[in-house]
Amino acid sequence: MTDNEPVMLKPASAVRPVFPYVDGHEHKPLMEREELRDVINLSLWAGQLMLQHGADAARVEETIHRLGTGLGCDWMDILVLPQTIVATTINNQDFRTRVRRAPARGVNMTIVAEISELSYRARTGDLDRFTLRQELHRIDGAAPNYSRWTVILAVGAACAAFCRLFGGDAVAMAVTFLAAAAAMFARQELHRQHFNPLLITTVTAFIAGVIASTITLLEPETSRMATLSAAVLLLVPGVPLVNAAEDLLRGYPVTGIARGVSGLLVSLAIALGLALALWVTGGGGL
Amino acid sequence: MNALLELVLQEALWSAVGAGGFAVLFNVPRRALLYCMLAGAIGRAVRTLLLEGFDAGIVVATLAGATVIGFIAHYCALRLKMPSMIFGICGAIPMVPGVFAFQTMLALLQITGVSPEAAAEPLVIAAQNAIKTGLILGALAAGIVMPALLFVRPKPVV
Repeated sequence: MTDNEPVMLKPASAVRPVFPYVDGHEHKPLMEREELRDVINLSLWAGQLMLQHGADAARVEETIHRLGTGLGCDWMDILVLPQTIVATTINNQDFRTRVRRAPARGVNMTIVAEISELSYRARTGDLDRFTLRQELHRIDGAAPNYSRWTVILAVGAACAAFCRLFGGDAVAMAVTFLAAAAAMFARQELHRQHFNPLLITTVTAFIAGVIASTITLLEPETSRMATLSAAVLLLVPGVPLVNAAEDLLRGYPVTGIARGVSGLLVSLAIALGLALALWVTGGGGL
Repeated sequence: MNALLELVLQEALWSAVGAGGFAVLFNVPRRALLYCMLAGAIGRAVRTLLLEGFDAGIVVATLAGATVIGFIAHYCALRLKMPSMIFGICGAIPMVPGVFAFQTMLALLQITGVSPEAAAEPLVIAAQNAIKTGLILGALAAGIVMPALLFVRPKPVV
């Protein structure tokens, strides 16, 4: 091989363990200290992005493990906690451990999908640590797939559709659309100001509730329930609750319980906002 | 029979809109959007069919619908090479028990405003709706992860 030729990466799985230590285990080739540091930094960054954007604990652990072993480690041990990851990279007799905080940042399925794909590429040896760093930079900084106004319209349409599913008629659907779209706009604005998430939820539910309550002026009581409950559906913590159940089912009780409690708190915040709205509009014996 | 079919198709249509809206909110990759809507429509159609056509209870019907969503998500995940949770969660959104949760909240608020003797009725209503909400959510989650529980059975490493 001459110096000009590009270095071909071998699939990690195809690399034969060459340093059988006296401990009787087979090992992958020795890694530099610096290489081990890079691997733990990058795989933790990937795991952090996934945990922050709505992946369940099992997926985070599997992805970090695939990335780490794909980049040359013998093994990785990963502890996924609520909003925190601890990981150890192991290569021969050497290891490095690091803790990484990962506060929730809102659901983003594109990030989860792309990092998951990266981990499979690392496993087949198609990805080295330098490319991985570039890719993570790109994924972290990528603009959302849908513009702000597309999201507002889509959420309004979705809540109107749910109003229909709950038994509302065309007028109720129109009111729900307006309420949900306005609430989504308010939520984005408040999110930009970095308010507390629970406070944002309460205020948004209040706005949705007040606008949705106008249905009682247009129509008799029949559609009120459908309109009010559909208008706040955009706030329902669907991803945390499903993830909570999934974590519990797959053996991650700590993250499962933490997600369940935070989902419950968001539901209570919605209830509080709606209750305030009902009280202000005088629509109910409160 | 025709009325049932019409109801199922209508529900499927609106569920597709709902699932698609939430898929946009969750920023799913563009090429996954249509599959998310499909999962939402089929899951809800199965549930409505069982509820109206076969007199199933809402929890069992939801479990069946969510299981179908889980398998669709599993298939889409293999086909599009994306995590199955994308399709599973977006597809489950149209079955989220929003009305039951809302009624729980209304009843709970009523309790605070009446005398202890009159509180019995709203208390029971709140409990009933809360239990329904919880069971439906549990059925949804169990249904979505069903393929993972059935197919992914790794040998313990330690």
